[in-house]
Amino acid sequence: METYIYSSMLRELTRFRRIFAWVLIALAGIGMAALCRNLMASGSSSDAYVLLSDAFAFRVLPLAAAILSMAVISQEVEQKTIVYLLTRPIPRWQLILFRSAAAMTVTFAISALTLAVLAASTSLLTSGVFFRDLAAAAVGSAAYVSLFVLVSLIINKSMIVCILFAFVWESTAPLIPGDLYRLTITGYLQGISQHPSVGTGDQDFMASISNVLGAHQATEWVSYLSMAILVAACLAASCYWFSTNEYMAREDS
Amino acid sequence: MSEAHIVLERASRWYGQVIGLNDVTCSIGPGVTALLGMNGAGKTTMIRLLTGQIRETTGSVRVFGEEPFANPRVFRRLGYCPELDNFYEHQTGRQFVYGMARLSGFSKAEATRRTHEVLNHVGMTDRAGRKIAGYSKGMRQRIKLAQAMLSDPEVILLDEPLNGLDPVGRREFIDVLKALAAVGRTIIVSSHILFEVEQMTRSILLLNRGRLLATGDLSAIRLLIEKYPHRIRIETSEPRAVAQRLIGLPYVLNVQFDPRGQSVEFQTKQPNDFYDEVPKLILDDGLPIDSVTSPDNNLESIFKYLVAS
Repeated sequence: METYIYSSMLRELTRFRRIFAWVLIALAGIGMAALCRNLMASGSSSDAYVLLSDAFAFRVLPLAAAILSMAVISQEVEQKTIVYLLTRPIPRWQLILFRSAAAMTVTFAISALTLAVLAASTSLLTSGVFFRDLAAAAVGSAAYVSLFVLVSLIINKSMIVCILFAFVWESTAPLIPGDLYRLTITGYLQGISQHPSVGTGDQDFMASISNVLGAHQATEWVSYLSMAILVAACLAASCYWFSTNEYMAREDS
Repeated sequence: MSEAHIVLERASRWYGQVIGLNDVTCSIGPGVTALLGMNGAGKTTMIRLLTGQIRETTGSVRVFGEEPFANPRVFRRLGYCPELDNFYEHQTGRQFVYGMARLSGFSKAEATRRTHEVLNHVGMTDRAGRKIAGYSKGMRQRIKLAQAMLSDPEVILLDEPLNGLDPVGRREFIDVLKALAAVGRTIIVSSHILFEVEQMTRSILLLNRGRLLATGDLSAIRLLIEKYPHRIRIETSEPRAVAQRLIGLPYVLNVQFDPRGQSVEFQTKQPNDFYDEVPKLILDDGLPIDSVTSPDNNLESIFKYLVAS
């Protein structure tokens, strides 16, 4: 039954109508890579890849995570189909765990495809930086999905909160002096990807964006450990919360 | 009921300041039991408590002797057909039922077999390959019933299952329920239509504003009602002639004319005897009768009587 929970969720998340937009977004990386190389006065392919990886692929990742996390439970509540899940002989924690795992898998697949398109467009498909990015994307998928699933279980209209976290907090916290970057996921993902500095600095607008976003980094092992703790804590909290609280169709709750 | 699968003891459920179910004590055993009440009476709250979707605020709810909230052991023996008409619209009926079977823990082969069996049972085999989005209300009801019957459950709860079914569909649906009850299943059907319930069972739980107002055989309720005069309205183009013909009957207590002159309303304590007289108006006296209705024959009137009593 556990594998069916996972595989049915995987099928649901990879339905053509759902996945098509993400494939288009990933393929947009080809054009962005070409544009980036033209805009960067003195940059190499590697610089273009690193910049786009930070500014594009690692922004697609939380967006995909936010949207796909809603499908784990929140969307079932909105669509009032939650009742069919809750009255099956399945422990609720299993529903959370295996459906979240499917959302993580698809989120990783989307971000890996985006990274692969960028790497292929900049001829870096076999480089170390690409593989480190894949590792960061895998960790990021797990971290964002587990966090957003928890938020979606606790808060109504959680999509707004998740998007704000992904695009406002994650972008601004690393810019604030001090250690606030430790309260972001991006900070740790950059610790895993270990991106080198890009471009020549002040005169290159595109490069400066990338450098600012990557200004703070945790060390690699601290990043892995922190993310592992975050994922475990969020999943445990989600399982507990979902097992002990009532979920009814929103209109009737 | 010695083999009651369902036992509620002083169960109450509050939604914030609003009470959904108020101090209900009852037990339900095999056979069809109707949960009768107007909209907002607490039927859905009671069904949600029994299906473990919500918890009681006070008192206790036991299904198979266990607390049902989020309890897979209970769900293994229980089928539920919700009132909400929501599905995974992109799926076909067969995909939906098969998915529910797999989530109920059946292997691929067993899920396929059971899916075929229940679809056949509800008469949806030939239409199960179509997308649910294109289903009529009646087809949706049948699919909901099919998924509730998948695990051959000992208890089946159906929330307003006859909504949207055509007369033939209703008949078939009721026959299915009766067949399940005949083999010892416990079936609880909620409805706000007395007429529907009477076709299914004599055993009822009558809810009003969250309280259990009456329980037992429907005829007991009827007897209670019969202590009060029944109103019977006859629509006719000759109300005076009809009134003149019936006023002399010993059980007619009162006659009232419609100001528009298109109907006449009688009050009687013996409605069955009165109804026996109506065909004679047409056959013997040749009076034109358009319709005969009873404004009392609805739940609202029953509640009024019961609350008054």
